[in-house]
Amino acid sequence: MNFSRIVRRTHMYLGLFFGPWILMYALSTVVMNHRDWVSSFYPETVPFVTESELTRRISFPEEASPAEQGRLVLQALNMEGAFSARRTEEGKLVILRNHPVHPRRITYETESGHLQVEQQPFEAPRFLERMHRRRGFQQDYLLEDVWALSVDLVILTMVVWAFSGAWMWWELKTTRLWGISCLVFGFGLFAFFLLTI
Amino acid sequence: MANRKVPHLKFNLIVRRTHLYLGIFLLPWFLMYSISSLPFSHRSYLDAYYDDGTPLWVSRWEGNYYIPLDTETDHRKIGAQVMQEFDLEGSFGTYQPAPDQLAIYIYDFWNATQVRYFHDEKRLVIQDRRFRWDHFLTGMHARGGFQQASFLADLWAVIVDIVCVAMMTWVASGLYMWWQLKSVRRSGALVILSGTLSFVLFLFLL
Repeated sequence: MNFSRIVRRTHMYLGLFFGPWILMYALSTVVMNHRDWVSSFYPETVPFVTESELTRRISFPEEASPAEQGRLVLQALNMEGAFSARRTEEGKLVILRNHPVHPRRITYETESGHLQVEQQPFEAPRFLERMHRRRGFQQDYLLEDVWALSVDLVILTMVVWAFSGAWMWWELKTTRLWGISCLVFGFGLFAFFLLTI
Repeated sequence: MANRKVPHLKFNLIVRRTHLYLGIFLLPWFLMYSISSLPFSHRSYLDAYYDDGTPLWVSRWEGNYYIPLDTETDHRKIGAQVMQEFDLEGSFGTYQPAPDQLAIYIYDFWNATQVRYFHDEKRLVIQDRRFRWDHFLTGMHARGGFQQASFLADLWAVIVDIVCVAMMTWVASGLYMWWQLKSVRRSGALVILSGTLSFVLFLFLL
């Protein structure tokens, strides 16, 4: 297989694999770019709906932070994954489990052991924005790291597409003139924006 | 027979050229969005890199000031007035970090200034942010929307929309071009299946 074919196949197979990521990023960007318009179709806030209530005693190590306590509660509920946790003024532990499709809020009352699990109903724009903003290696979960790695791979892939695309274009001699025009216009417009807004 | 083939070939060429020229024209945006995603993904690393003792925000002005901050206040209008009074230019946004505070965030690609108003103290603070390349990139990445009263800002938002449409077009035209290559249909289908399955699994397992 010659170099040109390797470039073409790499460009293609990467595109076929990462298609869902690219569609998600494109659609979520449209949502964010037209936030006011999109929001007008949905209620301002989406109330959480109670999913279950139960009583369970969960013991925490002394001086455990809300994040550590949150992790133990999620572990007890078999709902491990990305989350944030805080203590309210009333002493309740509130955990927001950042599930891509069904985010949940878990409220735990340490004294009584009362647990309330609430779920936020699905809304496409919020789901897309959550997916768009999901990245980084700050969570202590392997699967979250794998997702963050996939985001890094998409970034790398986009750079590969740019260079392999430029390579394939240069090989098509008949498109060089129009291609150069597009390139100059594109970079010129981008530079103009950099200096003016 | 030859006549029936012509429209197909023409469509084929249109698909290929659209895929190509969109890519070339939007190359700067495409590269910008990819490279600028790295600081979002590796924020802590870059924060550590820039942790050199230089403060992120440097005070430009601080003094007594009064803004009638109540529920009726139009924050954008107040923001525009403050900017005019202090000769601040650029796109801006407003938000309330606390019920007794108002913040105005003014930015262009290179600079950022924040104005903080503390209602209880009737005090206004104006601060400039130090330049950092990661902030420059993330600022460009996050830029969009049609909220600004500026034609060029709206034009940028239109380009953002075009990039989104282009991304969907690349996926669709890429699929079309793949299907034209009979020798890679099976391997391509396997790759599509594995990519889609991975993505769906993430949706349910994350």
